[in-house]
Amino acid sequence: MENTKQFSNNNQYIVISMGDEEFGIDIKYIDNIVKMQHVTRVPNVASYIKGVINLRGEVIPVMSLRLKMGLDNDVETKNTRIIILKLEQYGMLGVIVDEVKEVLTLTDGEIEKVGSNNKEEKEGFVFAVGKYDNTLVSLLDLNAVALERE
Amino acid sequence: MDVSQYLEIFIDETKEHLQTLNTQILELEQNSENMDTINEVFRAAHSLKGMAGTMGYKRMQNLTHDMENVFSEVRNGHIKVSASMIDCLFQCLDALDEYLNNIQESGDEGSNNNEVLIKELNAMQTGEGQPVEETKTEVVIQQDAVSEASPKEKWRNMVLGEPEKHVLAEAYKQGKNVIGLTVYVQETCILKAARAFLVFKALEDLGEIIISSPSAQDIEDERFDYDFSIIMVTNSELKQVISAASGVSEIQEVCANLVEIEVGEVKEEVKEEVKEEETVTESATQTPVAAEPKKKETKPAEKKGKPVVNRTVRVDIEKLDVLMNLVSELIIAKNSLVSATNAEGASNNGVNEHIEYLESVTTNLHESVMKVRMVPIESVVNKFPRMIRDLQKKLGKKMELYMTGEETELDRTVVDEIGDPLMHLLRNSADHGLESAEVRKERGKPEVGSIFLDAYQEGNNVIIEVRDDGNGIDVEAVRRKAIERGTITEEQAEDMTEKEIINLLFLPSFSTAKQVSDVSGRGVGLDVVRSKIEALSGEVEVKSKLGVGSTWTIRLPLTLAIIQALMVVVGGEKYAISLGNIQTIEDISPSDIKYVQSKEVITIRGTVIPLLRLNEIVGVESTKNEDENMIVVIVKKGDKLAGLLIDELMGQQEIVIKSLGTYINKCKEISGATILGDGEVALILDTNALL
Repeated sequence: MENTKQFSNNNQYIVISMGDEEFGIDIKYIDNIVKMQHVTRVPNVASYIKGVINLRGEVIPVMSLRLKMGLDNDVETKNTRIIILKLEQYGMLGVIVDEVKEVLTLTDGEIEKVGSNNKEEKEGFVFAVGKYDNTLVSLLDLNAVALERE
Repeated sequence: MDVSQYLEIFIDETKEHLQTLNTQILELEQNSENMDTINEVFRAAHSLKGMAGTMGYKRMQNLTHDMENVFSEVRNGHIKVSASMIDCLFQCLDALDEYLNNIQESGDEGSNNNEVLIKELNAMQTGEGQPVEETKTEVVIQQDAVSEASPKEKWRNMVLGEPEKHVLAEAYKQGKNVIGLTVYVQETCILKAARAFLVFKALEDLGEIIISSPSAQDIEDERFDYDFSIIMVTNSELKQVISAASGVSEIQEVCANLVEIEVGEVKEEVKEEVKEEETVTESATQTPVAAEPKKKETKPAEKKGKPVVNRTVRVDIEKLDVLMNLVSELIIAKNSLVSATNAEGASNNGVNEHIEYLESVTTNLHESVMKVRMVPIESVVNKFPRMIRDLQKKLGKKMELYMTGEETELDRTVVDEIGDPLMHLLRNSADHGLESAEVRKERGKPEVGSIFLDAYQEGNNVIIEVRDDGNGIDVEAVRRKAIERGTITEEQAEDMTEKEIINLLFLPSFSTAKQVSDVSGRGVGLDVVRSKIEALSGEVEVKSKLGVGSTWTIRLPLTLAIIQALMVVVGGEKYAISLGNIQTIEDISPSDIKYVQSKEVITIRGTVIPLLRLNEIVGVESTKNEDENMIVVIVKKGDKLAGLLIDELMGQQEIVIKSLGTYINKCKEISGATILGDGEVALILDTNALL
């Protein structure tokens, strides 16, 4: 009974790791997760936009979550993945992450909203924190992640 | 009855009928005695009325009903087409258009009864203008010819060709029954074509259908009103045939009769009429009707003089886009297969053969899908004659529009967008271009001004020209205006060529019309024209001679989805340049580079061309040494040229254009992307933005 309630609330998150930290991305925005592949650079755009990839015949822009958050540039490993997001405002958008870990189901009680007006810092991309198994996972505000800035 | 599911079809068809009415009434204005045109108009109005009635749009139905009555009177020669009548009819069309717009927006026709128009129509109908004698007699003769036969048995009016006559004579000799019948479908019937098909099928079980009117094709495409006629050969009795035809549901009435053949003549023997209630009325009237005189009578359903329309299916453009994407993917998959087998050393010849076959199939498929997206520009330009006619009255100038090349085909998306810019240019020519009749007379020009709209294909482009024999552009006036408005300074004006001055017209909010008129002159026209056409990857140019006229030339790519491109490499990255923008490719040595105002230029065959280093534009390191010979792609935009310095040429390729999406929109040098055979994405350079 409790399970069905959770699913209907769509509180499912994909847990990704970036450096030492773990982040959660709401599964309802995720279209696909693909392995790292050749990214064609697009000239004269913001540095965090890595370029475009071919996803089954569609050209999709790809951005680096690391650069957007002000971390070091991505280092490609066998665990590197591109998460394809489907956002209302921007359409399809790929986000490069270090590793995809697991799917996490959180109840409403396990999610604690955090308020932050600072969109410039890493914390600005986090809208809530999920608690499970005594660890914390920062839940990403995807519209803030996608928001254009130099 | 729930008709909402038919609303879309209704709207589409109503638009078509309104267009037909517009075109035909215009024609009627020119040639008021043309029976074909009058019939065509009558038929369109009739269909409109039927459709509006079925959909429950009473006001629309009333208006079309009265229009139809007027046409009917004209057709019978009781009243004559007059200028005031044409005006009124056009107003009616506008009113219908308004209904249609209301329906499209809200599903409701609105509450405007258009009583004034209806009154006017009624006044016309009751013979406000007396018919001219000669028209009357002419029509009366035709009337006589028909009145001999029962008006319901329209099959008697069918025109038989020699082969049909021969077949009928043969069958008759063999003792078979030759039966003519006219089938009336209920006016409430929605799937007319399906009912007609069932009738055909039922009849074909009994015998052979020799000829039908309208043709079987037209009937299948639902191009008939509520009746169609058939002549068939059968071994069955007349009654059997009638009951077979009337057995189909939603058939209102079947008027059938035996046809007696005598040396090329069609005679009737017995007359039978079957109502839906299965009551059979027999009559013994024997009226010999010769087939020959019938030929003079053009029946409405003959579709004479109408352009041959191909069989068509309405398809949502999105579905085509999906299809197109799938085809591109298929080609990419095929290319990967090719490179995979090549890598493995092609040990198996059988595989190669199959791949070659696959290759030819995908190429053909690609071409076919591309062609499906192409539509003639006719649908857009058809509304212009009417527009010019209205402008003529509004502006009080005399003018005539001549159009050629309406059949020229363009990608659907382009055709949808090109209407507004063309309308702007035509209005511009009519308002600013053409002089008033008096001035024209003074200048020794014919009083009636001419505007030409020509469309034709030229290589991978389609050219649309709007030309007028009016005043042309007064370069001095433009120059003065530009200075006055502060667009340019006087010094700048001194240096500018005539062409540069004319190009100022394309700037936002620039209008030389002394008075802002209803038609044009608000200065929102030409810049919109230009931006719209450039958004379609096209260009617009103007040539003008003062006192002689101007020509506006729009150049558009045949299709937006696929282009021939030159693939180039710079700094290890691949870029595509549209072949349409490339003038030549030159090989130059570093010593050829000269400096003008500290900018690099090269001289090619006497022309000084600015040099742009592509690696600097896209921000990569060139892989070439400074002292090596350089490859320069000369790109053009109108008359402007520039040399693009690249590292390597890869060759020519047909590429499918994909959008970069909304997320990356700051990059103006890149107009899109494409997917190469190996699955890699290559960017398409927008050379127009570089110039």
